[in-house]
Amino acid sequence: MNTNLKRTLSATGTLALAGLVASPLSAQTLDGAQLVQERCISCHTRQADGTLSRIGEQRKTPEGWMTTINRMQHQRGLRLSADERRAIIKYLADSQGLAPSETASKRYLLEQTPNITDDTPGQYAEMCARCHSGARFALQRRSETEWNRLVHFHMGQYPTLEFHALSRDRAWFELAVNDVVPQLARDFPLQTQAWTDWQQAEKHSPAGRWVVAGYLPGKGEYSAVLTLQAKGDDRFALLLTGQFADGSVLEGKGAAVLYTGYELRAGLTVNGQKMRQVLSLSENGQELSGRMFPKGATEMGGEISAARSQAAAVLAISPAYIREGETRTVTLTGSQLDDRRIRLDGGLKLEKVVSRNATQLVLKLSAMEGATPGMRTIQAGAAKTRIALYSTLARVGVVPANSIARIGGNGGKQPKVNAAYRAVGYALGADGKAGTEDDLALGYMPASWSLKPLTEAAAHDRDLDYAGTIDARGVFTPGDAGLNPQRKMSTNNVGHLAVVGTVKTAQQDMQGQASLLVTVQDFVKSALQ
Amino acid sequence: MKHLKSLNRKAQLLEQAVAQGKTEDVVAMQSVVGCTSTNDPGWEVDPFGGLGSLCQPMESDLYGCADACWWPAQVPDTMNTHPGWSQDVAKANEDWRQIDSIFPEED
Repeated sequence: MNTNLKRTLSATGTLALAGLVASPLSAQTLDGAQLVQERCISCHTRQADGTLSRIGEQRKTPEGWMTTINRMQHQRGLRLSADERRAIIKYLADSQGLAPSETASKRYLLEQTPNITDDTPGQYAEMCARCHSGARFALQRRSETEWNRLVHFHMGQYPTLEFHALSRDRAWFELAVNDVVPQLARDFPLQTQAWTDWQQAEKHSPAGRWVVAGYLPGKGEYSAVLTLQAKGDDRFALLLTGQFADGSVLEGKGAAVLYTGYELRAGLTVNGQKMRQVLSLSENGQELSGRMFPKGATEMGGEISAARSQAAAVLAISPAYIREGETRTVTLTGSQLDDRRIRLDGGLKLEKVVSRNATQLVLKLSAMEGATPGMRTIQAGAAKTRIALYSTLARVGVVPANSIARIGGNGGKQPKVNAAYRAVGYALGADGKAGTEDDLALGYMPASWSLKPLTEAAAHDRDLDYAGTIDARGVFTPGDAGLNPQRKMSTNNVGHLAVVGTVKTAQQDMQGQASLLVTVQDFVKSALQ
Repeated sequence: MKHLKSLNRKAQLLEQAVAQGKTEDVVAMQSVVGCTSTNDPGWEVDPFGGLGSLCQPMESDLYGCADACWWPAQVPDTMNTHPGWSQDVAKANEDWRQIDSIFPEED
C-alpha cells in the first residue's frame, strides 16, 4: 500500500467491518455475480464449471471476503467503487458463505470480542495461530488445493516467517504442506452437508420489532426495542430505542445488511456515537444475538440479544441471584412478560410487581430463610428464566481473566485500547463445599475496582505509576503512547498488573483478580485478527 | 537444565519460570487473540509472560521489527506487504507520533 493511500484510508479513522455496513439506502443495487465475472477475470481464469479459479474453491464469512477484497484492492491493483465492493462481498458471502453451524463456535472473532484466549489445537497453534487467531482460518472452507495454495501464499507474502521459531528450527514448509494442509482439508472442507442444507433451508427475514437486552462497558445494562424495516435486497433501516439501567436514554438509528441469510451487520449512531452491530439471526428467525461496539473501539462493546416482540421470552435477569432470607428487586428484560401470571419455584415469594413496560418487568422477590441453595425458575406468562438462590458467597472471579490493553494517544495517531472488567460471583452449592461442580454461578455482581502490580518485576519497575488507571465502572484506561523519559531506558508506559474486583456483601468483602498486560500498539488492523 | 548455566538476565528469568512452574501461565497470556505467540522475542509479551525481556522502548527498534518482520500480524511487513509504511518518518523514536497503523477498511 503506498503512503498516500494509507493516509487516505487512515484519515477516515475507520476500523473493522466498516465496509460491510449498508450504503445510503438509495444506492442502486448492483449485480454481484456479474461484477465478479467482469472484474476478477483479468487475473482469475474461468473454469469448466463456470466458476473463477481460486475464488470458486473457497467459502468465507462476510468479513473473510471483505479481507480478500481489501487485499485485492490495496495490493493487487483491483479498482472498485464502494458500491461495487459491497455488491461483490454480498454476492460472495451469500453464494459461498458458511452455514450457521460452521461459524457457531468461532463467533467471537466476527463479533470482535476482546481478550478471548484461543484454544487452537497444537499443530494449528504452532503453524497458524502463532501470528493470528485460530478462528481466522477456522472460519474458512477450502478445497485441499486451495489450502495448499494458502501455505504458498504465506511463504510468498511473508517470506520473513522463515525466521520465526517453529520455522527456522524445523522443516516447516514440508510439515505445512504434507501434514497441516490435509488436516485443514479434512476439518474445514469446501463441500459440507451443513452448507448444502443451509443453502436449501427456508430463510427468515429479520424485519420486524424486537426486544433487546445488552450491556456496554462504562454504561451498564440496557433494554431497548429494535425495529428493522426491510428496504429490499437484504437491506434494512434500523431504529433502537431504550434505556440503560440507570434510567438514561438510549437512542440509535442506522442501517443493516443481511449476509448469507443470517449474518446481520449494522452501522448506527447511538446517543451521538457511531456504533457497529454484528448479529446472528437464529435458524428459525426468532432470535438475534451478537455484539454491539463503538466504531474504532471494539473492546468497549458488549453482548446483545433480542427476541421478536410478539414472542414470550426472557433475555436477561439482573441481578441473577438472591440470598436466602433476603428481599430484593429483580429486573427481567424480555418480551411479553405477563405480570399477572407470575410463577416462582419453591423458596421464592413474590412481594410485589414493581413496574412493567414493553421491555422490562421489575419484581420484588423474597427468598425463604434456610432455603436449599440452587437454581430456581421464574415464570412470567409463557416466558421463563432462572435465578440462583444462594446462602454463602464462595468466590469472586474477574472477567476477562487474561487481558491486554494497549498504550495510545498522547498526540500519536493510534487511540488507546482500553480493557473492561466485570465481577462474577460463585456461591456454595447444596454440598456446602467450594470448588465443586455444584457451585452456583451467580452471574455479574457490582464491584469496586483497584490495580496492583502482578509480578515482582512489575512492582520493581513501578508499572502501577505509569501503565494506566481503572475507574469505578471497571474500565481500565492505559497510559500514554511514546517514550517515557521518567522510566528506566525511556521505557513505554507498559505494565503487568492485577485487576482486583471487590464484591461487598452484608457478610463479607470478597476479591477476585484478573491478569492485565498493558502493552504496545498493534500497527496492523484487521477485520479478522 | 542441569548442564546449562545461565549467563544473562534473560536466561535467569527462563530458569526461574521453569523452576516455579509458570509455563502454563505463560501459555495463557500469549494466547489472547490479537497477540502474537511468536515470542523469541515477542511483540506484546516476552517468553516468560511478562515485559522484562521485550525491546523497550518499542520505538527504538520498530523499523528493525518491520523490515525483517517478526510479527507480520502486528507490525507492517515493509519487506513485501507494506513497503511504504512509515517511509516518511525517518526516526521512529523521535517522530513516533506520525506513525500510523495499516487500516484495511474503508468507510
